[in-house]
Amino acid sequence: MRKFLAIAVVAALVLGALGGVAAAQDKVIKLGTLYPLTGPCATAGQRCKAAVMTAVEVINNAHPDLDVPLAAQEGVMDGYKFELVHADTQGKPNVGKSEAERLFNQEGVWAILGSYNSAVTKPASFVAERKGKIFMCGCSSSAALTERNFKHFFRIAPTDKTESHEFVTFMDWVNEKYDADIETVGLIYENTEFGKHAAEEGKAAADEAGYEVVADVAFSPGATTMDSEVQSLKAADPDVVFGACLGGDYTLWVRTMKKMNWLPKMSLNYCTGYQDPMIAKQLGDDGNYFMGGTGYSPQFADLMPAVAAVEEIYKEITEPSVPFDSDSIKEAAAMFVLAQAIEKAGELDHDKVAKTLHSNTWEAPLTLSGEVAFVPGGQNELAMSYLTQLQGGDYKIIYPPEVANAELVYPMVPWEER
Amino acid sequence: MTLFVQVTLDGLLTGLLYALVATGLSLIWGVMDVINFAHGEYLMVAMYVSYWLGFLMNIDPLFSWIGAAVFVFILAALTYKLIIKFTVGKSALSALLATFGLSMVLKNTALYNFSPNFRLLSDTILGGKRFLIGDIVIPLPQVVIGIFAVVVVGTLFWLIKRTRLGWAIQATALNKQAAELMGINTEWIYTLVFGLGGACCGIAGGLLPSYLAVHPEVGSLFSLIAFVIVALGGFGSIPGAFLAALMIGLVEAYSGFYIAPVFKYVAVFGIYIVVVMFRPRGLFGW
Repeated sequence: MRKFLAIAVVAALVLGALGGVAAAQDKVIKLGTLYPLTGPCATAGQRCKAAVMTAVEVINNAHPDLDVPLAAQEGVMDGYKFELVHADTQGKPNVGKSEAERLFNQEGVWAILGSYNSAVTKPASFVAERKGKIFMCGCSSSAALTERNFKHFFRIAPTDKTESHEFVTFMDWVNEKYDADIETVGLIYENTEFGKHAAEEGKAAADEAGYEVVADVAFSPGATTMDSEVQSLKAADPDVVFGACLGGDYTLWVRTMKKMNWLPKMSLNYCTGYQDPMIAKQLGDDGNYFMGGTGYSPQFADLMPAVAAVEEIYKEITEPSVPFDSDSIKEAAAMFVLAQAIEKAGELDHDKVAKTLHSNTWEAPLTLSGEVAFVPGGQNELAMSYLTQLQGGDYKIIYPPEVANAELVYPMVPWEER
Repeated sequence: MTLFVQVTLDGLLTGLLYALVATGLSLIWGVMDVINFAHGEYLMVAMYVSYWLGFLMNIDPLFSWIGAAVFVFILAALTYKLIIKFTVGKSALSALLATFGLSMVLKNTALYNFSPNFRLLSDTILGGKRFLIGDIVIPLPQVVIGIFAVVVVGTLFWLIKRTRLGWAIQATALNKQAAELMGINTEWIYTLVFGLGGACCGIAGGLLPSYLAVHPEVGSLFSLIAFVIVALGGFGSIPGAFLAALMIGLVEAYSGFYIAPVFKYVAVFGIYIVVVMFRPRGLFGW
């Protein structure tokens, strides 16, 4: 009898322990990340991945010193922790779509964050919507993404539409303040979902504001030369260029303009190579005086005081160690918003979490507005960015004037005078 | 008129760069019947060698191309010794697949060691330099690459046509067994040809960081264009590859400027399809 009791106690302990393990395992929310970890946009993709990892580190563990949501506690819903499964889109829509399917079907992820390139986000988020699962997008900017009326798609970033309107409003302001005589616009963009939509929105906004679009230059990403592209711009000689070129294409574009000895009076860039501080650094003086919409740069520290401490964790994860940039920080913000919604919903039903996301305003200290709120279709209606200009390698805020910390250099300083 | 001259000049300079890349491929193809799928990756390796020589030792691409060319010469010679040698005499597909595998190895080795990040050399001697004739801009980096292309292709042509070594290479290309009976060390010729083919690419890759960013995927499109050039010029024909490269450069420039930039590669690959359909041996092939 004593022997039987001993066996029963041991069995109970073993079962209890196994049960504990099972319970601990159950308290995991698997999330997929979908970024271009290789290919032409890999630098940006690697940083976006590191940004989500940073947010998960803060949410999963107690960081009471950080002034961001969920930092003080460990996990969400009384002990649930996030586990990330990373996938590489290579920046290709077909790869992104199949990886999204693999993440849901084989890895069993609960939701996906991603995927930087709008062209990839479009089919990948379609997979999520078809499955009734959540796709949380940080920085893809094509306006078309949130015009599909999807129920489970959410996007933190401002769209190209928003940025295009910002650009023309800014041009009006420059004309007024600097007597700049800006009349014509040229467009240069990669021939992808992102580039084409950015150009469409840019053209529409310029037309509406009374600017004449005199050059419309689409190019194939990863080109060996950009001579024809720059020659076409130079021939039309627009006052302002709206640019939508990513990564290496951006550097080639800038260097080809230098080679061809041509610059517009002003260059306004969508979320492109312009926003990548590493590329700006590598271009050195050649990168100066270009402009673009920017959601974050270390020079914004005073405006976003909560970022600095989180950024320290991010810097430890990135190799080489870099601060957040305008794109990656939106991916971190996306993760924080998703985690808050799960916490508030109190359960893992996708529809319930999606509904919760739609019906609340979320604390988002990693965004310029400090808050996030989604309208039907999933666009963050509070999304905003400032217009910056690279001066001496720093992103200086130029517009809106109430937050500006530098004076606009207009027109751009010609190549031979640098 | 100025614009036409400028576009023509851009096309010719781009064509000369392509000639430097494609000549090596044509040489290997012509002598050994081997389609070297790793050719674009040789270019990428050369660019990394030049970049690191510039970044770590402050050697400008204007000089570091020598290191890049020697490195890729050795890499290509080893490719023959360790891989291609075992495919000679077997199905043409085996060499093709072996070099495709090598291209994957080189690309992923670069990814693993250097990450996918773009790397750009700043303040190079040639970077951004240009001179003007009226309104026509003549970019110095491309002019220098063009001069290298003329010299390298010319030297290679002279070597093949006018020297005993060249005759030995031609004999090996025409009939390996007969060449061996004449006392030619075909094994050595093959190693040298593979090395020279790689070195041509190495010179181009060594000079390119003057204005082009380096990353593991950088060779892919160059490789495809080089295949088009070799097919257009005629397999194994060095003058053919040279002229075809100039044609492709001009087609790219004219279609890019006068039709649309996004159309330029459509035109280039469209020409390839037409040539393959109507003259599979290429414009200058026999």
